[in-house]
Amino acid sequence: MKKLSSMPESPSAPPAQRNWWVYVVLILVCVVNFLPYLRVVMAGFMDGATSSSATPIWFFSPSLEAFDYLIFEKGIMKNFFNSVVVSLASTFFSVTIGMFCAYALARYDFPGRDDVSFWVLTNRMMPPVAVLIPIFVTFQTAGLLDTLLGLIILYTAMQLPFVVWMLTGYFRDIPRRYEESAMVDGDTWFAAFRKVTLPIMAPSITATAIFVMILSWNEFAFATFLTSNQAKTMPPAIMAYSIGADIKWNVLGAAVVLITAPLILFVLLLQRQLISGLSQGVVRK
Amino acid sequence: MAELEINSLMKQFGAFQAVNDVNITVNNGEFVFLLGPSGCGKTTTLRMIAGLEMPSSGRIAIGGRNVTFLRPRHRNVGMVFQDYGLYRHLTVFGNIAYPLEVRRLQRAEIARKVSAVARTMQITEVLQRKPDQLSAGQLQRVAIARMLVRDADVFLMDEPMSHLDAQLRGQMRAELRHIQKSVGVTTIFVTHDQLEAMTMADRIIVMKDGEMLQFATPREIFERPATEFVATFVGEPQMNVFDVRITRIQGKIAAMTEDFVIPLDARWMQENGVENLVGQGVRLGVRPEHISVSDRAEGGHGVAAELYSFEPTGAENLYVLKCGGVTITTRSSTTETAHLAKGEGSRLYAGFDPNWIYLFEPGSGRTIAQAAASRSENEEM
Ligand SMILES: Nc1ncnc2c1ncn2[C@@H]1O[C@H](COP(=O)(O)OP(=O)(O)OP(=O)(O)O)[C@@H](O)[C@H]1O
Ligand SMILES: [Mg+2]
Repeated sequence: MKKLSSMPESPSAPPAQRNWWVYVVLILVCVVNFLPYLRVVMAGFMDGATSSSATPIWFFSPSLEAFDYLIFEKGIMKNFFNSVVVSLASTFFSVTIGMFCAYALARYDFPGRDDVSFWVLTNRMMPPVAVLIPIFVTFQTAGLLDTLLGLIILYTAMQLPFVVWMLTGYFRDIPRRYEESAMVDGDTWFAAFRKVTLPIMAPSITATAIFVMILSWNEFAFATFLTSNQAKTMPPAIMAYSIGADIKWNVLGAAVVLITAPLILFVLLLQRQLISGLSQGVVRK
Repeated sequence: MAELEINSLMKQFGAFQAVNDVNITVNNGEFVFLLGPSGCGKTTTLRMIAGLEMPSSGRIAIGGRNVTFLRPRHRNVGMVFQDYGLYRHLTVFGNIAYPLEVRRLQRAEIARKVSAVARTMQITEVLQRKPDQLSAGQLQRVAIARMLVRDADVFLMDEPMSHLDAQLRGQMRAELRHIQKSVGVTTIFVTHDQLEAMTMADRIIVMKDGEMLQFATPREIFERPATEFVATFVGEPQMNVFDVRITRIQGKIAAMTEDFVIPLDARWMQENGVENLVGQGVRLGVRPEHISVSDRAEGGHGVAAELYSFEPTGAENLYVLKCGGVTITTRSSTTETAHLAKGEGSRLYAGFDPNWIYLFEPGSGRTIAQAAASRSENEEM
């Protein structure tokens, strides 16, 4: 095919707009969001006296006192480890199970399908406080209080609706054609699913998994009530170590560094997958 | 390579009858077209042959083996989907190689087969690209290549050319027919484009509302249509069909509308028992190329008409004429009609070739009398 030399500019690509005020707004938003965090992180590197002074101090000689206290005195790395195990496991289980649920909801028409979808969605709307006591009693009866297993089961169940809800939409966007084509080419249903649908879904599944992992990592309410010692995760641990009779700002700051560092690293590393996964189906050709 | 036999195939979606009593036997190596308007059940029929949809009842046999309810992978059919169905996470090579990898062929063997078929389909340069970097024409070639690469018993193609522009379609028609004949695999090709079917098919199945109306060679479909629907569906511009009454005028039988009279061929009337229809209303059909136009009412041009619209197409001129309440389209070569008036509202005279007149039953559309000329020509064959 011959290309025209005087190809007119495609109308679907309007000239990029460069408005200075967009940057002003963006910078403003960043500052408003980032300053408090910066302040807390700074507090983490102060000693006790500096951090609790009445007037905010911006210049100080850094100290690792708070980290020393958290890591060696309180053994927060155990809580850190608990959090890692619980979020990884619950993410793995909820995404794996949710994937198949979502697939079934997207692909098969069965009686009550819409009811299931609706139920899945409304599950998300339930405030955790409403089920706190029944769950506590259940955990007590089943001997799951203060165990990692208990938290993993609970978080898996909690995240499942979100996973199903996200992935159902993405599965719907993938034409059935792909699997059918693979099946005609000689694959079983499962091989077609594994070799064709999953690779296409990979960005969406990754994005969903990242979300779920962050939600599990940050979960506070249930972790506070259902764990006490052995299985305590980061969020309640931070609360317990930094807030007693008064608030130890430098300990809180150090804890914030510890709990957010993995998240920041994680999102920085995976931001491309996250964005491509979330925008799948929107900008796809 | 195998023959395909389908017996009383039915498919219901709930209360909706998508495919109703389809019976066909396709010979080994034959190129058969499923032709019909949108929504008539072509894709559904094809999907049942592929095993992607289970029939409500009926029987499908490939090479004498009953495959009616087998899973797709046990049928050994190759398929091109309406929207290609290429995997967007694989390269073109990966796409074409996929069916071979499923069959666990040796790597060298796969590479050899893929490059051979890529050469046939002229897509060698794009083997390393992803599907979203291809043009529609290339996508379609890749989809066909993926089907050809296998030793399938039957090839199924669902409107593979519907996304191509007219020029490319013209090229692909000749090319596909050539490839099908040289590969020699029984092929079912679904289309709603009568031109595709007429130009490429060995035989055509015309479908409507899930039912099979006619299964015959393109020529037979064109010259001896089983129903009014088949007659009007093939041919461009479509056949003129209008209501007439068979009447006896001064001892002679003719077809009459409110505004004009069409003389009929005596021998043909006798053969088809048109005398018995006297007094009855029927539908009369005549193709545009069998109506001639003249500026004088002589030499069989007895029907006065007013020019409604004139459509030159290059080699041929289309005259849309109003003969009283009936609108007819005629088609004649540009040179023959060079001297005729072309202004709207001009007075012209139309003549119907008595050898090419069809009669259809009003309600059912069944053909009562095939054209006289079609009969003799088919007998000579
Ligand atoms: N899964 C389904 N559930 C319900 N109805 C269906 C289903 N698949 C097809 N149909 C209906 O069956 C009829 C035939 O569909 P089919 O896809 O076979 O048509 P087609 O001849 O291939 O049309 P087109 O030329 O538009 O592709 C249509 O009316 C369609 O709405
Ligand atoms: Mg179709």
